[in-house]
Amino acid sequence: MPPVSSSQSHPAIPDASRAKKLQLLGIVSGFAAGAWLGAAEAPTKLVSIGVSPMVISLIMVIGVFLARWSLPALILGTSSVRADVRRAPHLVIWALLAGCLWAVANTLTIFAIRDIGLSIAFPLWNSNSLLGILWGFLFFNELRQAGWRRRAGVLGGALVMCVGATLLAIASSSGHGPAAHSLHGVWAALGAGILWGTMYIPYRKAYLTGMNPLSFITFFSFGELGMMTVLSVGSLGLAPLWRELLGARSVIFWLMLGGFVWVIGDIFQQYAAKYVGISRGIPLSNSNQLWGLLWGILVFGELHSRSSSIYVEVIGGSLLMMLGVGAIAFSSASGQEQTRWKDAAIRESDRYGVAADFVEARMDGRQLLGELKPSRSALDWLLVLLATSVFVIFAAMARVPQMSLHWTPAALLTAVLFLLLVICGLALWRTTRFN
Amino acid sequence: MHSSSTNQPNTSRLASILTDIHFWVPVAVLIGGLLLLRFIR
Repeated sequence: MPPVSSSQSHPAIPDASRAKKLQLLGIVSGFAAGAWLGAAEAPTKLVSIGVSPMVISLIMVIGVFLARWSLPALILGTSSVRADVRRAPHLVIWALLAGCLWAVANTLTIFAIRDIGLSIAFPLWNSNSLLGILWGFLFFNELRQAGWRRRAGVLGGALVMCVGATLLAIASSSGHGPAAHSLHGVWAALGAGILWGTMYIPYRKAYLTGMNPLSFITFFSFGELGMMTVLSVGSLGLAPLWRELLGARSVIFWLMLGGFVWVIGDIFQQYAAKYVGISRGIPLSNSNQLWGLLWGILVFGELHSRSSSIYVEVIGGSLLMMLGVGAIAFSSASGQEQTRWKDAAIRESDRYGVAADFVEARMDGRQLLGELKPSRSALDWLLVLLATSVFVIFAAMARVPQMSLHWTPAALLTAVLFLLLVICGLALWRTTRFN
Repeated sequence: MHSSSTNQPNTSRLASILTDIHFWVPVAVLIGGLLLLRFIR
């Protein structure tokens, strides 16, 4: 049977109030993503206590893997994942590909943090938003028929972010660590930005085709764990890797926790990409830069005793980037632009034979008429139990790293994280039931 | 209203994937990233 042709039967766009609500939801999800993704990078500071960057990245990915299976099982149940894959099996390829991109990017960020520091590396790899805007425009009709004001908001915001990133790059080359490593760190951070920016092609493709973010990330995890394992074994060898893992057992819990926190941020980021597109969703998620800066400076004492000009460059660059993010956030998609998004969705459903009514319902954040409600089975609870047990076992082995940490700001930032989790989680549940 | 099932044959689906630029751009970037990682290490 030929692919379903849907261009005749698609209604234009959901009603205006629903569309507006989904846009707002995407924006709130983007900000919540920023807070959680920013917090997740903090454990990578442990690289300064002598654990190999590869091992840190691998352990974080193991935490991510556990979270990516247990959280979807807890929220919707794996039956909904299976149903999604039956409808759009081709997306498994893109999920695996995105996972591989993520793993390589994450490893590069660890090298970048080691060489140029979290405060500086963060904004550099957050240049991924520029690439996301380009891919969104080229491939998914984003910013088409958006009007000059919205285009100026997104493109102007991106330009301001570029200036901010440049300022930070200049700061990075002014005396932090050996010069050769400093340049490597800049390359690593920018490379991570390109990989992450491109990773959003699979994301957007999946969500235009109607896949649930929770289903997508489940398969994504195989790509990232597989790639990370290949990188680690290829780089260190099996026996030395095992020895390093044994040597790092007292910090495994913290790194896995970093991976777990990252997944929560990523889930919000996926919903942002789904409801406001990647050209807006990525910059919003990239407010993690500010959160990373807060964690770096307040909790880890970064930039302590550095010259005031470095402070000015780093803070000024970060503020410029945030200004750009703000401009993008206030340039939400118009009805006409959303119609173009729908055209891109129709193209995908036609190309891969995905039912048009399914694509349409999922773009509107709802279930298909007559679709079975997702339910949890014994398998889902088993997955949650297994993941929890692994975390508990490593928590029992964990020791607080011998680093100078400031616990009061850490507690305050954690409280804000949970507040955002509750607010955004409830909003997603009430509006879409996580569809 | 269209059916909610997917009926595209596997060969056709594979051809659709391999001729999709959305596939090749991430593949090219991934290869570039691996080369960069090798260079940095």
